Amino acid sequence: MNAITATELTKRYGSKAAVAGATFGIEQGEIVGFLGPNGAGKTTTLRMLAGLVRPTSGTCRVLGDGVPGPSLREVGTMIEEPSFYPYMTGRSNLRHAARLHGDVPDSRVAEVLEFVRLQDAAEKRVRAYSQGMRQRLALARALLWRPKVLLLDEPTNGLDPAGIAEVRESLRRVAHDGATVLVSSHILAEIEKLVDRILAIEAGRIVFDGPLKDLVARAAEQAVTYTISARDQAVLLTALEDLGYVPNARGGGEVEVSVPADDAEFLIERLTTKGVRVLSASKEEDDLEDAYLRLIDPSRRPS
Amino acid sequence: MSAVLDVVRAEVFKTLRKRRVYVLAALYWVLLPALALLVGRLIYVNTRGTFVEEGVPLADLMQALFSPHGLATIALTGPAYASPTPYIIGVALLAALFIGEERGQNMWKTVLVVQPNRSAVLTGKLIVTMGTLLVLMVGAFLSAILFGTIGTSFLPTNLSGDWGGLLGLYLWQWAHLLAPTLLAFLLVFLVRSAVLGIVLVLIAPGLLEGIYSVLNTLFSLQPITRFNAVFQALRLQRVWDELPRYFFTTNLYAPGRSPATSLVNEFISEIDQADMGPFSQLLGSGLTLGHSSLVMAGYTVLFGLLLFWVFRRRDVD
Repeated sequence: MNAITATELTKRYGSKAAVAGATFGIEQGEIVGFLGPNGAGKTTTLRMLAGLVRPTSGTCRVLGDGVPGPSLREVGTMIEEPSFYPYMTGRSNLRHAARLHGDVPDSRVAEVLEFVRLQDAAEKRVRAYSQGMRQRLALARALLWRPKVLLLDEPTNGLDPAGIAEVRESLRRVAHDGATVLVSSHILAEIEKLVDRILAIEAGRIVFDGPLKDLVARAAEQAVTYTISARDQAVLLTALEDLGYVPNARGGGEVEVSVPADDAEFLIERLTTKGVRVLSASKEEDDLEDAYLRLIDPSRRPS
Repeated sequence: MSAVLDVVRAEVFKTLRKRRVYVLAALYWVLLPALALLVGRLIYVNTRGTFVEEGVPLADLMQALFSPHGLATIALTGPAYASPTPYIIGVALLAALFIGEERGQNMWKTVLVVQPNRSAVLTGKLIVTMGTLLVLMVGAFLSAILFGTIGTSFLPTNLSGDWGGLLGLYLWQWAHLLAPTLLAFLLVFLVRSAVLGIVLVLIAPGLLEGIYSVLNTLFSLQPITRFNAVFQALRLQRVWDELPRYFFTTNLYAPGRSPATSLVNEFISEIDQADMGPFSQLLGSGLTLGHSSLVMAGYTVLFGLLLFWVFRRRDVD
């Protein structure tokens, strides 16, 4: 059974559609990365799943119940900047949330504080917390009632590399215990290390939904990136532009260029025909960042 | 029901950690009776044995105003006369604490996910707000007794008085505060700003009444003109004249202001209410507590329906 199901989910603000007909399902225990540029509709989608924003049309279901509904009590969220009552201590903020939820014993507060390594700062007022500490406290709050679904919007914002690794490890453990995690992030390297599946959104529309390796493979099917060096870099650049590509000059006389996969095997031959003396050409392996950028940015797609 | 209790527990937990509540309590519980006692002492020292005492029995005045019962009466009546009244200031500040702060600290997105039952969240917050107001008022009642008892050592006062009736008025006034609380929640939530919400709460209830006064002074429906004749036929003039009886603030403070009429009657003999002009309304005359309760119940239903409708439907950004 899907832990999260969105069907034709749409949210309009006036004439502008923040999310337009998003349809996807996420199974229990999956960790899914939610990618998209700023303003693509990630946060609005997460807000709709959390019951904070009413869809203009379409439906979303969490753990089988419509949203908003009782299943939201099984959901932990971190949406945008973490927010707390600044005059309360970290522990008091968690105790407040525990009371508000109703099914959380006080002992659990100490557990999650330890889990995010904030036990030593628990008695400090939140107004004295650093961004990273607030981020970890927000994660602790999201985990407080052992949620079955976690909706996380940029959970590693403001964290140092060690903190990022800790959060990644925490999320893995949570998912290992059976929780479903939908996590958005701009740090693609982090997403690559964490998730099994990618959901990409652009201009309110889901543009990719599938395993991480499929996104990279699809990008590789569409285009191949070469790093080429020639005796004369200027001639090489001119020749590539004449062929209709968009080359990027790099140091050491090298040029990077993406070409459609169908053109790849003829590239060197065409350059030679144009009088370019190619010294070397190596094919670059696409990573998630390349694949993602090609997906959301048409200018990066080969013509 | 358990969701409401969860919200109540959480809000009480939060309220006890908010300095603003203690400041309100200190002002209401200590400053007001202490100042009243000081004024009482000054009056007593300066008028004892003077000609003033010939007209008004000073001991009776002291007993009426500065005895434990008198101070408790002042603690109820005083806030109903200051402008803007401390009652509405208290309501606005508490609304800002329970509703505005969630916006200011961007906490709605947390609160409404932790407790997605929006009706329970709102009901819980209203219960704690009204509970806090009750604690503040009962605290003022008790502290007035304490200060009044201290006053008996240097003023000619004692503990006698109609305590049951006064406590009833306290509870009546407290019940009347539900309507402005709902209005304050509604305004603070609608304008999405605690500061602007507080300002609106202070201004809005009196705004329509102010506009009425201006219109009444400038135009009214007199004299009978060709246009007014139609309205006269529709008995609109009578409706217009009766309108103040249904004003929000007039009815809101009726329980708090009612002891003032008794005091005035006691010391300035029987007064013809009609001769008092605008003061008549200030003294709460012409309005029975039953009438004001019905009017406030109407406002409560109106504001309550609007608030719950808006709160349940509105997106949280």
